[in-house]
Amino acid sequence: MMEKKEILESGLLEQYLLGELTGSQQEQVAHFVRTDEEVRMAYSKLEADLERMAQENAIAPPPMVKAQLIEELRSEDTATVSMPSRSRSNPWLAVAASIALLLGISSYWLYSKWNSAEENLKLVEQQRTELDQELTELVASYDEVLEWYKAINDPNAIKVVLKGNDLAPKALAVGYVNHETRSVVMDAKGLPALDEDHDYQLWADVDGEMIDMGVIKKGTEMLAMNYIENAESLNITIEPAGGNDHPTVERLISNVYL
Amino acid sequence: MLNESTLIQKLQNGDSTALSALYDRYSGALYGVLLRMCKNEPMAQDALQETFLKIWRNCGSYDPEKGKFYTWAYRIARNTALNALRNPSKLIQTEDLSVYTNEAEEEAPDIDLIQLNGSLRQLEAHHQKALELVYFQGLTHREAHEEMEVPLGTFKSYIKQALKKLRESYQMALVLGGLLMKWIV
Repeated sequence: MMEKKEILESGLLEQYLLGELTGSQQEQVAHFVRTDEEVRMAYSKLEADLERMAQENAIAPPPMVKAQLIEELRSEDTATVSMPSRSRSNPWLAVAASIALLLGISSYWLYSKWNSAEENLKLVEQQRTELDQELTELVASYDEVLEWYKAINDPNAIKVVLKGNDLAPKALAVGYVNHETRSVVMDAKGLPALDEDHDYQLWADVDGEMIDMGVIKKGTEMLAMNYIENAESLNITIEPAGGNDHPTVERLISNVYL
Repeated sequence: MLNESTLIQKLQNGDSTALSALYDRYSGALYGVLLRMCKNEPMAQDALQETFLKIWRNCGSYDPEKGKFYTWAYRIARNTALNALRNPSKLIQTEDLSVYTNEAEEEAPDIDLIQLNGSLRQLEAHHQKALELVYFQGLTHREAHEEMEVPLGTFKSYIKQALKKLRESYQMALVLGGLLMKWIV
């Protein structure tokens, strides 16, 4: 425990004045200042010295510092309108509360609007994707049709009508042979439907030999077939599904000479 | 003019006019200290504003039983300036850059302001220096005795003697002033 004499003579009081002491030293000096008349007197003198020196060496700050301080206080005052120590009710409090309430309501409204807008956006995006797909398909089929149209309308295309014989009297297929572009196109929609195990197949007769021109795929209206050089006739047979290496002559349904 | 304890009471009740009155009373004394500590006018001005904002915000923690209001305010100002000096980046953010380009020109007149006045000037050089270091430069007793290159005990007695002489010269001035007043009357 510190002695009173120590505090008065060791310069501790001067250090205490400047806030230099910490912990128990600070507490002990503070205790003496509070309770001991002599220490209290000595401390008051030091305080008076400090203040007098400062006042004798005072420098007036520019007026703008006070103006800024007042401004700062004002902005702080409006920011802390809910300070409980204010006894008189502040009209700005009501204004601020109303604004806060309005903001709350409007942000909830905006939030729900935003949510539904987002849902709508998702729906529109989904529809757009579907439309995109449809368009792609349409463009593809348009391109295909255009191709067929060009092939059929080509002045060099020779139209060959393949009528069914006694085996398939109702069958009718149309071929378009173009020697210039070396291509063969078939319109096979007039051929009667076959069961799953069978397909129609097109053959070219070259010097008595039957050469494969391709299987006529089920369900397709227009087909590009293989062009065969020096073909004398076009022939359609019914073959096992997927086609055959050699024609089954017994099941020949149509034969046309070129 | 209101007495100080009434002002303090009003301040602690959240009355900003009390702060304004206390500012008028003490800003010069505090600015004198801050300018001598910072040696830079914008920095000292910022520190002064900061000091009064802290006084406003923390006035509830001031206890008149423990000491004078000026002592409390002085400690806040001193700590604020020490923080600003330790961490000057805060100042750079708030100040216009032009301040720094003009600094060299502005420094010259400050030297006169930083000179100490009043009864302090009548003291011997080492006494004046000792008081200046702790009360106007913000040094602790330990830092100041190193600065003056004397033992801590010696430095502490410098302070004691300097303050004693200061009081004597002040009382002499009061007595002379009193005599002068009597003589005039």
